[in-house]
Amino acid sequence: MSALTDLFAALVGLMTPGMIFHAAWATLLGIVIGSLPGLTATMGVALMTTLTYSLDSTAAILVLICMYVGAIYGGSRSAILLNIPGTPASAATSLDGYPLAKQGRAGYAMGLATAGSMLGTLVGIVLLVMIAPPLAEAALNFGSFEFFWLAVFGVVISGQLTADSTPVKGYIAGILGLMVAMVGSEGIHAHVRFNFGLSDMNAGIGLIPAMVGAFGFAEVLNAMWGRAGILATAKDKSDRILPELIDLWRYKVTIVRSGVIGTLVGIIPGVGEDIGAWASYVAARRTSKEADRFGKGSHEGLTAAETGNSAVVPGSLIPAITLAVPGSASSAVLIAALFIHGIRPGPLIMIEQPQFISSVAAMLILATLFMGFYGLTLTRAFVQVLRVPYAYLMPVVFVLCVIGTYALSQRIFDIWVMVFFGLAGFVLRQMKYPMAPLVLGIILGDLLDKSLRRGLTLSDGDLTPFFTRPVSLAFVVLIAVSILANFSFVRRRVSGLLRRKREERDA
Amino acid sequence: MNMTLADRLTAIAFAALGLAMAVGGYTMDRLEIRRIHPASIPGLVPMILGVLLVICAVVLWREARAANSEDAAIFKDGSWTRLGLTAAATLIYAIVLVGWLPFIWSTGIFVFSFAAIFSWREGAGRGAQAKSIAGALMLAVATAWGTSILFRDVFLVRLP
Repeated sequence: MSALTDLFAALVGLMTPGMIFHAAWATLLGIVIGSLPGLTATMGVALMTTLTYSLDSTAAILVLICMYVGAIYGGSRSAILLNIPGTPASAATSLDGYPLAKQGRAGYAMGLATAGSMLGTLVGIVLLVMIAPPLAEAALNFGSFEFFWLAVFGVVISGQLTADSTPVKGYIAGILGLMVAMVGSEGIHAHVRFNFGLSDMNAGIGLIPAMVGAFGFAEVLNAMWGRAGILATAKDKSDRILPELIDLWRYKVTIVRSGVIGTLVGIIPGVGEDIGAWASYVAARRTSKEADRFGKGSHEGLTAAETGNSAVVPGSLIPAITLAVPGSASSAVLIAALFIHGIRPGPLIMIEQPQFISSVAAMLILATLFMGFYGLTLTRAFVQVLRVPYAYLMPVVFVLCVIGTYALSQRIFDIWVMVFFGLAGFVLRQMKYPMAPLVLGIILGDLLDKSLRRGLTLSDGDLTPFFTRPVSLAFVVLIAVSILANFSFVRRRVSGLLRRKREERDA
Repeated sequence: MNMTLADRLTAIAFAALGLAMAVGGYTMDRLEIRRIHPASIPGLVPMILGVLLVICAVVLWREARAANSEDAAIFKDGSWTRLGLTAAATLIYAIVLVGWLPFIWSTGIFVFSFAAIFSWREGAGRGAQAKSIAGALMLAVATAWGTSILFRDVFLVRLP
């Protein structure tokens, strides 16, 4: 009850003209960015972080959350109209959205996607309010040993689940991120590592320049490298845009299940909206009575994908706020933004700022309301947005990448860092290395480094507590299982054992 | 280039990087003079990461060999000309122009060149070509002026 009262109070607190104005423009801009193929939610949040330095902390975080929610939802526009997902999160949406558009029901598909996204975000918000406070409380008991394994778990699981081809590429991306975090003054003895004689590197590699490079500049290169998409939209013959309530009621189980799956995927460190959407879509197809319609314009499939990807947004904020471990690449940028604005995410959040979780939930509700408003009223206007040519869009994006990274510390060096990460990010992405573990590595490197050395100091060099404390042991088992599951001989051995056990039982 | 070759080359590069990191961590100052606990030496985690990267590089090399049958080409489905022009324009702007010319000028030149190059249609009528130049010019003026005002006067940033 107290959580609901806090949430209501936070929502009332946001109902000032200034905050509503910020939520309105940021959500709209997020939808526009998300709907443009080549511009991702992470890029939008990273660029927006550089534009909100001067805002007060509540307004800045509201803008970033609205941008995040809007961009993830906005990706569905181009997925439905062009069969090109605006963001990777909308790849599953295009499977049923585009066939619907080809049948002349683009308007209705977008309406359904809007409703699915709203409901998904709402399910995620409920779970955020329910899960985050007890999780933060539990994390208060974490010591260096647990935080070390949490950091390792984050990088391993993110590498495992986001890698396209082989998990080893995900692991490598994670290790590279951790290595980047080793540059500069370390957090225990203030010893400067790997600065190569450059005083600019003493403070380490900034997360924002690295993120703007990896997600901004790299996307510019990626967009210009790819063949320009043909912006041809099917003619819309939808008689209605508002989804029929009966449709939504019929899929209530799918909506709740997809919302829960999306939120849980969001909680897993560094595993983003795309996996939330795919997991929800696959679960919906497996249990659907009309599974044969999936991929041919199924309302249920479209609803599941959109509910799933939108629920990841609140889900990814749960570990980000309570453990300072990002649930997705965009929430990694949000963590950096929180630090810039003087908010320290982590287990102490419930002690230092007990209202913060309610505030974030209220911001998400506001973003969801604006998302619904724009989604249902500006459906046809978004088609025009998709016609902006890259020749005009990309130079503006790159200018923002440059001046945005410079503005944080007013150092030319940060621009070079951005350029380096942009080029590296482009090459790595072409070679199928996922970017999320890299980002997670950069953000978790300091935690991992300090926790390991602090833990070893506390135990006087003894490794035993890293394996015997209950939470540490649970993390060790999870990490070991996820790594060993990659090896075919282990999988064969385990399935053989299970089969033998079953046969013995049957006999 | 196919993925097998690319994976092998990167495996070598990552192994070298891992080795360098491990050696860098091993030879790093152990701060004995400050009497720190030996388990908290600054080079500990870099050493571990270096070794892990070498192991991953070896696995990547082996997997590259195993995946030989279903090899895919990389750096395909794209235009090298567009990529080259984009890389050249962005790098000249970010590395050379910014800091050398006032921000408003460097941005104007970059946006105009970029937009004009990529909106230019060879063989299109004079009217269309004049339109693309005019569009690029308008965008350049608006972007250079808008970002300068926004960052200098609103965010109080001392522009490069």
